[in-house]
Amino acid sequence: MMAIRTVDIGFPQLALAYALLIIPFGLLLWYRIPMLGRTALAVVRMTVQLLFVGVYLQFVFRANSPWLVAAWLVVMLVVADFSILRGSGLRLGRFLLPVLAGLLVGTIVPLFFFLGVILQQPNLLEAQYAIPIAGMILGNCLRTGIIGLRDFYSGIRTSEKAFLHSLGQGARLHEAVRPFYRNAVVAALAPSVAAIATIGLVALPGMMTGVIIGGANPMTAIKYQIAIMIAILVGITLTITLTIWLTLKPSFTAYGTLDHAIFAKNKPRGTRRARG
Amino acid sequence: MDDHAAIEIDALTVGFGGRAVLGGFSLRLGVGEKATLTGRSGSGKTTVLRCILGFVVPDAGAIRINGEALTARSVWHLRRELAYVAQEPELGDGTVRDVLERPFAYHANADLRDNLARVDEFFGEFLLPRSLLGDDVTTLSAGEKQRVAIVSAVLLDRRIILLDEASSALDKTSEKAIADFFRSRADLTVLSVSHNPEGLSFSGQLVELPGGPNGEEPEGSA
Repeated sequence: MMAIRTVDIGFPQLALAYALLIIPFGLLLWYRIPMLGRTALAVVRMTVQLLFVGVYLQFVFRANSPWLVAAWLVVMLVVADFSILRGSGLRLGRFLLPVLAGLLVGTIVPLFFFLGVILQQPNLLEAQYAIPIAGMILGNCLRTGIIGLRDFYSGIRTSEKAFLHSLGQGARLHEAVRPFYRNAVVAALAPSVAAIATIGLVALPGMMTGVIIGGANPMTAIKYQIAIMIAILVGITLTITLTIWLTLKPSFTAYGTLDHAIFAKNKPRGTRRARG
Repeated sequence: MDDHAAIEIDALTVGFGGRAVLGGFSLRLGVGEKATLTGRSGSGKTTVLRCILGFVVPDAGAIRINGEALTARSVWHLRRELAYVAQEPELGDGTVRDVLERPFAYHANADLRDNLARVDEFFGEFLLPRSLLGDDVTTLSAGEKQRVAIVSAVLLDRRIILLDEASSALDKTSEKAIADFFRSRADLTVLSVSHNPEGLSFSGQLVELPGGPNGEEPEGSA
């Protein structure tokens, strides 16, 4: 078989990539779309964050210490936790721990299954596998968590009379919120399910292209991609379910009514995109 | 008959955002009694009903249902004694049949499921056509929604019915059908809220809430 090698991108060539930004920035300027500042800031943030992560990951990969990998996973989880709460328009203080717990289980269960059972890695915190796979699962859990939590609580707030009607008919809290949970899961999972259904036809996903560019056989890349998509589906389903159920207690009074103090005063931020 | 009252309200005080809505309101309603709360907008009529359901927690005072104090713990089983019919009932989504069947999926009502066999009987009683069962609930008129909500309450075998302007959208014939039904049911305790107490002719006593500023009562939660 032909040997495939990865072509590195030099920093001067990388700088050239920024020249392409003239197209989106030009369109935003020409049509006076009020997103120029935000887009520019996003590009700067992306550059700084990825360069920082690149430097850090080089260090982590060289050291390959389970402690360093675990520390990095904790950082990723905490950042995702804050992002979900900011994005879903809920108050930070009340939900940091329940959302973190949902994210932790939603990420760790499929991650360790992927590493331990599918890849049969003796070390579940092997930096080369644990960090990128956790990142893909967590990125999708983040998006799902934002959509799911926002849809769930705003749905109850919007249809509060119907919710109270259920309570008045003798429903326990978990029974009264079930239709809202169902709607939230549909809203949260729909983009991922659509992505899974069209994968390979519409877009080549990040992991697959990464593995191919990294020099692996395309069939190996596809097997990785299938496994990671299943892991993502498991992760997002667990995350959306756990974050909703774990946030119930701090969100409702002892009488079962919605505590409106859970909503942050500022509008939630837009949903961020993350792909496997 | 039990010697305790179906509803006992003792010195109920409720305020929203610093505005007093109820100040020391008391009421005793024996089993099978029917009463109507009247008063100006903002006098706290709906708030009284919402307090009884545990949707609003009073600042002071006490509520007892069938002799049991309403608390965060007891509210969950006391709600099985109560039915609330709102002025504009939000019945959720689905068909009328879905709406009537849904509460029987709740654990608290599971043993009452056989009551669904009486849907036709109550639809006839409240002058609702049987064909309505397959209709989407969002297509119903306000008067139909009110009567469907009452049918649901009766199917759930609730003994204390709270009606919040529940006949406001009804024509005279439907209103009379509802009044006749409640008048004939000596086992049901009914506390209704109405701007027009003459409409609910089954009510044995009128309770006027004092004053209150004009304006909407807030959708306060517990």
